[in-house]
Amino acid sequence: MDFELMWDAIPKIAAGIPTTLLLAFAAVSFGFVIAICAAIAITTQRPVAGPVARSYIYLFRSTPLLIQLFLIYFGLGQSEAVRASFLWPVLQSPMWCAIIALALNTGAFSAEIFRGALSAVPNGQMEAARAGGMSWWLSFRRIQFPVGMRIALPSYGNELIMMIKATALASTVTVLDVTGIAQKLISATYKPIEIFIVAGAFYLIMNLVLTRVLKVVENRVSKHL
Amino acid sequence: MVSSLTQPALEVIDLHKSFGSLEVLKGISLQAQEGDVISLIGSSGSGKSTFLRSVNMLEIPTSGTIRVGGEEIRLKPGRNGATAIADRRQIERIRASLGMVFQNFNLWPHMTVLENVMECPLHVLKKPRAECLDEAMEFLSKVGIADKRDQFPNQLSGGQQQRCAIARALAMHPKVMLFDEPTSALDPELVNEVLQVIRLLAEEGRTMLVVTHEMRFARDVSSVVAFLSDGQIEEQGPPEQLFGNPESQRCRDFLSHFRDEAKSKHG
Amino acid sequence: MELLIWGDQGWGDELFTASLMTIAISLSSYAVGLVFGCIGAALKLVENRWANILGEIYTTVFRGIPELLVVYLFFFGGSLAVMSVASVFGYNGYIEVDAFIVGMLAIGVVAGAYAAESLRGGYLAIPKGLIEAGLACGMTRSHLARRVIFPQTLQYALPGLSNLWLINLKSTALLSVTGLVELTRQANIAAGSTYKFLYFYIVAALIYAALSFFSTIVIKRIETWSNRGTVRIKV
Repeated sequence: MDFELMWDAIPKIAAGIPTTLLLAFAAVSFGFVIAICAAIAITTQRPVAGPVARSYIYLFRSTPLLIQLFLIYFGLGQSEAVRASFLWPVLQSPMWCAIIALALNTGAFSAEIFRGALSAVPNGQMEAARAGGMSWWLSFRRIQFPVGMRIALPSYGNELIMMIKATALASTVTVLDVTGIAQKLISATYKPIEIFIVAGAFYLIMNLVLTRVLKVVENRVSKHL
Repeated sequence: MVSSLTQPALEVIDLHKSFGSLEVLKGISLQAQEGDVISLIGSSGSGKSTFLRSVNMLEIPTSGTIRVGGEEIRLKPGRNGATAIADRRQIERIRASLGMVFQNFNLWPHMTVLENVMECPLHVLKKPRAECLDEAMEFLSKVGIADKRDQFPNQLSGGQQQRCAIARALAMHPKVMLFDEPTSALDPELVNEVLQVIRLLAEEGRTMLVVTHEMRFARDVSSVVAFLSDGQIEEQGPPEQLFGNPESQRCRDFLSHFRDEAKSKHG
Repeated sequence: MELLIWGDQGWGDELFTASLMTIAISLSSYAVGLVFGCIGAALKLVENRWANILGEIYTTVFRGIPELLVVYLFFFGGSLAVMSVASVFGYNGYIEVDAFIVGMLAIGVVAGAYAAESLRGGYLAIPKGLIEAGLACGMTRSHLARRVIFPQTLQYALPGLSNLWLINLKSTALLSVTGLVELTRQANIAAGSTYKFLYFYIVAALIYAALSFFSTIVIKRIETWSNRGTVRIKV
């Protein structure tokens, strides 16, 4: 065990943490919006948007994230139509491609979680909202969404932890996140175990902090449910 | 004190409702004048809850007319032979003027007692917050749970939850209040505190429709009792007449069944 | 479509072989996962503090670290380990370990951490009365474990283990970074040499979706069979 190497690797790998967190944060933010839209389209049984949302969820849940990432980074990046369009500045950036792929992926998994949670809101609570004269949007905003999110929180928390880990795939399209830097260091030093321990520890710490935050949030908002 | 010039508070004419091939309401007509307390009694499955839920369109009737304060609810033909709401805005406005109290309270679990009561005045009627707060406290005092204002519904007993639900309905200053078996989900020892509150509201002269299994309450409080059987109003009249000398055989059977039950409970 | 022709002209046969490789590596890594899962669950369940801690570390670490990192560890660490063993015997050259074995172990060890949690949950869900009933009719401990505890644990853990199979199938795509020619790697090769990136990644994605779809059908069958003794109350 080369402890000196490990010590030196700590600041180098830590430099990737902002990138990892940025990837996770951006993907989760966009993914959340996608997921809510898809879940609404399904729970309100929209004639076109509903089936579209269902297919989206199925396809993105049943294929590997790595393929989704390659599809966006290499696939769209190589197509002439995209190169000519206004999307090119976005799709030529590996960072943006990774964010889009991660967002679409977590969007599909979260949509499934939210769909279940929104339909788990007791019907009587929605009836009480309608009986009080609320419009669909108002009852969604004030009752179904807040109650549903509290129901979804434990599963959604797991999805967030999965997302932190999933950001590692961005390294395959040259993004230098924690895993990207670790992979470079392994190739350069040929000390896989030492580097693995340092990089792994960073992921475990990030997950630990996130788990703690989620516990606090859950205790605060779901206590009375 | 009923003037023939004023509109009835609620008027229902020939209401039908089917679920698939099952006809649950077979033409019900009912009028509630200002200040009337109408109790709807009948065995389960007679359609009384469906009728009450149709009045504020939680169930959309298959045909018939409903007028609230003289305004007719507009319906239109919907998909595959069903009816649909013609004007969402109108329904929302009318629902806001009908206070509904459910069997299972249906309080919103993520809001405190006070927030539950303030929610609709604040966001549906868009009244100023200070006014909502004052009124909410007034109604919570009236139903006797002002001290629970910052509790969450799941921290309250069933009776307290139902009283909170009544306060929530009152906060909308409803023209008519609809009670859907308000005490059926309560433990026996909690029934009275809720009936007490409803009695108080009746004495204030509020117009109310109450679906209930509490026969004594119906006799003491109602101005009119309607006995529903098989989707129709079998018999209707002042409580003295309906309980004292019912005309229809079915009504007599139903009431004697209740009397036996009461006897066996006390004997 | 001519890109998918069988033989030298198209990529049909290559993609087919690669799909078989994906199935093979999924099955074998899943099997490794079940073995590690049993060990992990046992470590967490026995009444020994050190075993419990070891089991806890195993499941926490391998469920909390990106699989890609674990794949790198096994890929680079694997040949390092083999070479250090070889140097004991006097051989100091570079040895590259088989990508299939490395992949199977890497994905399997991660799957094992998840399987351990499912199996532990399954064991804890067994009604205590069943075990008491076994003891009451004089079963030996090993007989009880084989005939009652193990099958019951599996039945309760089945939903978790089924889900794990679907996740595991997709995880094998990560092995494309080690050069193992499974479906994702083959799609990379085909796309790179024809410049039809979009086309080949979509084809690969559809093959994965189809594999998932068939898996769900098989899983449903297994679940029906497993629940055959459970009475469904019709409402």
